[in-house]
Amino acid sequence: MLVAALLSGLVLGGTYALVAMGLTLQYGISRIMNLAYGEMIIAAAFLAYVMFSGLGLNPVAGLLIAVPAGFALGYAVYGVMMSPLVKRARDKASLEIDSILATFGLLFVMQGVMLVAFGANFTSYSYLNDPVTIFGTTLAANRVLALVMAVVFGGGLYLLLTRTLWGTALRAVAVNPAAAPLVGIDVNRAARLAFAIGGGLAAAGGVVISMYQTFTATTGVVFTMKALIVVIMGGVGNLIGALSAGLILGLVETFVATYVDPGLTLAATYGIFLAVLLWRPAGLFGRVAR
Amino acid sequence: MLEVADLSLHYGRHVALNRVSLKVGKGETVVILGANGAGKSSLLKSIAGITRPDGGTTISFETRAIVGRPAHEVVEAGIALVPEGRGVFGDLTVEENLALGAYAKRARNHAKESRDFVYDLFPKLKERRAQYVNTMSGGEQQMVAIGRALMSKPDLLMLDEPSLGLAPVVVGELFKSLGRIRERGLALLIVEQNVKMSLSIADRGYLAEAGRISGDNTAEALLGDAAVQRAFLGATH
Repeated sequence: MLVAALLSGLVLGGTYALVAMGLTLQYGISRIMNLAYGEMIIAAAFLAYVMFSGLGLNPVAGLLIAVPAGFALGYAVYGVMMSPLVKRARDKASLEIDSILATFGLLFVMQGVMLVAFGANFTSYSYLNDPVTIFGTTLAANRVLALVMAVVFGGGLYLLLTRTLWGTALRAVAVNPAAAPLVGIDVNRAARLAFAIGGGLAAAGGVVISMYQTFTATTGVVFTMKALIVVIMGGVGNLIGALSAGLILGLVETFVATYVDPGLTLAATYGIFLAVLLWRPAGLFGRVAR
Repeated sequence: MLEVADLSLHYGRHVALNRVSLKVGKGETVVILGANGAGKSSLLKSIAGITRPDGGTTISFETRAIVGRPAHEVVEAGIALVPEGRGVFGDLTVEENLALGAYAKRARNHAKESRDFVYDLFPKLKERRAQYVNTMSGGEQQMVAIGRALMSKPDLLMLDEPSLGLAPVVVGELFKSLGRIRERGLALLIVEQNVKMSLSIADRGYLAEAGRISGDNTAEALLGDAAVQRAFLGATH
């Protein structure tokens, strides 16, 4: 049972980490608190569902469509909705408030569209739902694949941001947006790109989630909340922070559900969140003074 | 090379700069002297494109108008600013800070030779290239800031109070390094409180007072000027 819980926890945690990385990019670099983030995830889950059950396209191939679509949606949303807010914002705080209000509206628009299109029913599909034995426990193959995909996307993003000049420039904007233009970085362009990459990651997360979880048009909020908890717990804008906090949250939730009571999962989520913030107010990897 | 004419800037009702004009020639080192609040920082920020000056201002660099251009484009034109407070990327390493210095298109292909020069100028940075900048001393962070600015292959390097908050020994080393940068043929425009040090490496100097340029002369003449002595030298060292 221990190994089983550990593996399930890693799968869930890997998904949380993947999803939170996108949000931490959007919040840390673009300075946009995107409350419609979970809706982007669910939209991608529905897209994967439609492609699988309608077109017979498996979710791994579906990623090739969903991720660019998420990127494009993020790019468009930033250009249409966020740019005007960024232009009129006097400071960081006013942009944060404006973006929360704007994306709060976007949340309901996206949710409404999905409710109309798919109804409020639980949706799922069965892909690779075959048992695999790992370390003496059986696990559905789709969960293993979900973990592998989370590792591939998370690792790829990490390498992109730390090993390329372009990625380092994005991190520089997160670290010191006022100084970034001094080395020739166009901060607005960087913010737009980061927001779009966040959209791509949300889409990747949505496809991964759709492979092993049931979802409805209204579950986006749950993912926004979880992602937000992971981002804050790990330290805003910090990829390694999002990764470790995501894994911790997934493991804690699974262990509490397995050994204590499944009804206490949410309590455990907030418990660990509070504990981490009491211990390190700026998050696991966050620095207080910027 | 750099020509500023009738530069005015106001923040709300406060007039920070009032029709300021100045020139920096190719390879020339120019110092702007003045008390706090004389508008020296605003002047550099306006040239760098960080603040937008009032209408009627002309700023041209190598005969191209750069006034009103965003800061990241001014870097591409060949002007680098080391801002007051250094503006380094504290959560990144020395190496990453320097690599970002060469982010501008004009600098990318020369990143390697620029880095060799920076490491030669500041050997300490080479030793500490993997260190996070916010764990370094003020003097070392200033080296990172200057090194990063040099990485963009500027023709004009502007420095805003580079010696602020540094120990006297470190200030001496800093100006020695600036002297070496100058020998490389770069033009320097320096805002400084440390009048003696800055005039010792400068060709010319301007005096700034309450948002205006109140005088200018060669560095030698300014060093010997009794009025300058009274106004600035007495107040500092």
